[in-house]
Amino acid sequence: MIYLDNAATTPMSEEVVGCVDEAMRDLFANSGTPYKIGLDAKGLIGKSAESIARNLKIPSTHRIIFTSGGTESNNLFIKGLCFPDKKTAFLGLEHPSITECLAYFSQFANEPLSLLPFQREGRLDLTSIDNLKENRIKLLCLSHVNNELGTVNDPLKIISALAKKSPQTKLFLDGVQVIGKLKVDPEMWNGLAGYSVSGHKIHGPKGIGLLVYDSKLDLNPQMHGGKQQFGVRSGTLPLPLIVGLETAIKHAVAQTEQTQNHLQSLCCYLTHGLQAMQDQIPELDIRFNSLVDVGVTRQSPGIVNFSFSPVEGEIILHHLEAKNIFVGLGSACSAKSKKPSKILMGIGLSEEQARCSLRISFSKNNTIEEIDQFLEAFGDAYQSLYPTFSQKAGHQ
Amino acid sequence: MTERRTVLIRYDEIGLKGRNRKYFEKCLLKNIKRALSDSDDIHYTSPRGRIFLNIPSSFEPECSIRLKAIPGVASFSIGVSMNTDLDAIAALGVQWIEPKLESLETLKFCVKTRRSEKSFPKTSPEVNFEVGSRIMTALSPRGLTVNIKEAEYVFEIEIGRTETVVFDKREPGLCGLPVGSSGNVLCLLSGGIDSPVSAFMMACRGCRVHFVFFDNQPFLGRGGYDKVLRLAKKVNHFQTRGTLYVVPFEAMQGSIRDHCNEENRIVLYRRMMYRIAEDIANRHGSIALITGESLGQVASQTLENLAAVSCVTSLSVFRPLIGMNKESIITRAKEIGTYEVSIEPQPDCCSVFMPKNPVTRSKIRFLERDEEKIPWEELRHNALAQMEVIKVDDLP
Repeated sequence: MIYLDNAATTPMSEEVVGCVDEAMRDLFANSGTPYKIGLDAKGLIGKSAESIARNLKIPSTHRIIFTSGGTESNNLFIKGLCFPDKKTAFLGLEHPSITECLAYFSQFANEPLSLLPFQREGRLDLTSIDNLKENRIKLLCLSHVNNELGTVNDPLKIISALAKKSPQTKLFLDGVQVIGKLKVDPEMWNGLAGYSVSGHKIHGPKGIGLLVYDSKLDLNPQMHGGKQQFGVRSGTLPLPLIVGLETAIKHAVAQTEQTQNHLQSLCCYLTHGLQAMQDQIPELDIRFNSLVDVGVTRQSPGIVNFSFSPVEGEIILHHLEAKNIFVGLGSACSAKSKKPSKILMGIGLSEEQARCSLRISFSKNNTIEEIDQFLEAFGDAYQSLYPTFSQKAGHQ
Repeated sequence: MTERRTVLIRYDEIGLKGRNRKYFEKCLLKNIKRALSDSDDIHYTSPRGRIFLNIPSSFEPECSIRLKAIPGVASFSIGVSMNTDLDAIAALGVQWIEPKLESLETLKFCVKTRRSEKSFPKTSPEVNFEVGSRIMTALSPRGLTVNIKEAEYVFEIEIGRTETVVFDKREPGLCGLPVGSSGNVLCLLSGGIDSPVSAFMMACRGCRVHFVFFDNQPFLGRGGYDKVLRLAKKVNHFQTRGTLYVVPFEAMQGSIRDHCNEENRIVLYRRMMYRIAEDIANRHGSIALITGESLGQVASQTLENLAAVSCVTSLSVFRPLIGMNKESIITRAKEIGTYEVSIEPQPDCCSVFMPKNPVTRSKIRFLERDEEKIPWEELRHNALAQMEVIKVDDLP
């Protein structure tokens, strides 16, 4: 199997499986109970949180909340801080757990400010920050790395622009595509109000994630109950998943530099391979939606997104699947017309270009040989499907 | 505490049968025995017009669930067998009614007796009166009153030749005819809302329904296949021993798309599906085709298009939903538990195969002219050769 959809999820590493398995067997006690085994569980969770803080270099000004994953972290922070009437802004290219969360605010006559006219290369153009002050925006929500494009919003640049031009606006970043793939400058924490992390994107377990936020902020809990985790997120803590997340973060951080270099070489190999393929297949016209041959401050090397009209991405996906190669899709083909990716449309692609696209996303486990096999299978599938789709385009 | 329970099963339509009645009764009894075959502690008797089961009381909840899923069962009651001793029967009535009065100030009740053993010296109204007055003597001070027309609680006594059964609840069954009494049919299953409902309706008319699904995995992936497997399983739950035939249809669809008039595509696909279904039905002993078509629901379901499709087969084609509106079909799908699966988003036809403007009034001579352009006999033969045959009972 060749798995090239690591932005969707990643396989759990052996170390993580081992420690989750052990904790599930042995450490069943409720960490909220006052007897020995409960206190032991509580102690382990505390140690995991400390280890996570150490590895991610989270300063003591910030608090760590364990959540069920990225979606919950984004919802908890945005709703917890701003619902129902605080003004928010976003770029319009974020994951649905941000865009839909903000769309919910609209139902309460609090329309979030979209900065989509200010997107450039899938990132926020810093000149747009003047608008935040004018509109008295309390919170700006962005992806650190865009989940479909891999484009990077540089936290330090945004933080310093905000400090200068709109100091009352706080910054929240969705970081689920970052940890272990890009080096993070710990300076960013000083200017960050909130940040989300997901376990399963970094070879950890599903069902666990983090919200890291400035502890001076008051978040209204979205989950009420036994007042665990400072009352911000009630619910018995899932110790095995927390231990798994800690292990995943530890390994991801320790290998970040190595992984980043590896992903860069895969990314470079793939983009050049696709470019070269256009010479061999005259009817193939690749348009890269992610940035090519730029530094990691602008583009994550973990994601390559490209379009190839007129062949639909989803059909290519199923043809690759038949060869046991799994890739990602931002949009979907359906006679019952699912809308194509809002992110691709948002950066100016036509509906056809958006439908005719794939997202390839790497992990440290992928190899150059796998990219070769992907390229060969992609070329074959494209050539076999091209007549059908060019005919369809002709009909229309 | 009684450790055994008696289940009294009533059937309606079979009672109307003339000389075939025995055949239908045998069929229903066989189906009930099969549905309960994992318990070896059940005794079956079937005096005229009824089926009695004697079961351990612990099996009561499970038995009730299973009887509700057997076509041909009109209703059933789970009660207690006893001697026809009116004092003992009345005492049991007091025992059952007393707890209900604890939370109520008044309770209207009546006694209903049915005698299949006519040699019993008292008539049904006499038994009603005698048992009813004994219960009243005990419980009228607690608020029990007799009200035959508006009874809130009915205490029923069925005096039979071998035993008398006392019960206080009638559970509705599916009614209709026992599966197997009408023969085998083949249902074209799509993954949508309609076809599972029509399959279920035919099972309730005594048919054993087999299923055929036309698949296109290279273009649509395995999602549709997985969905149809689950739908077939849900419908098969009401009948057992159904078979699902999965026919790869991409070559046929591709050939029609590439060579025939675009507007005729959908009707042509369906004509080929009917032809292949007829082959399967003939090979495996089904004597009619079943579809989920409802008049005018979509472009392919106009009177002209239905006629243009039906004429390719000499088998009877039944469309149990033909006169139903969508809302009623959805209600039915929810009742039988297929709705939640049917609405999972999953394209049933890739957009490259869909015509822009499908014909609503196809002309058979034009369709035949189109079919001359493709080697459909060969494609049909190949599709059948690659068909997968799945015993639905064996699905996990």
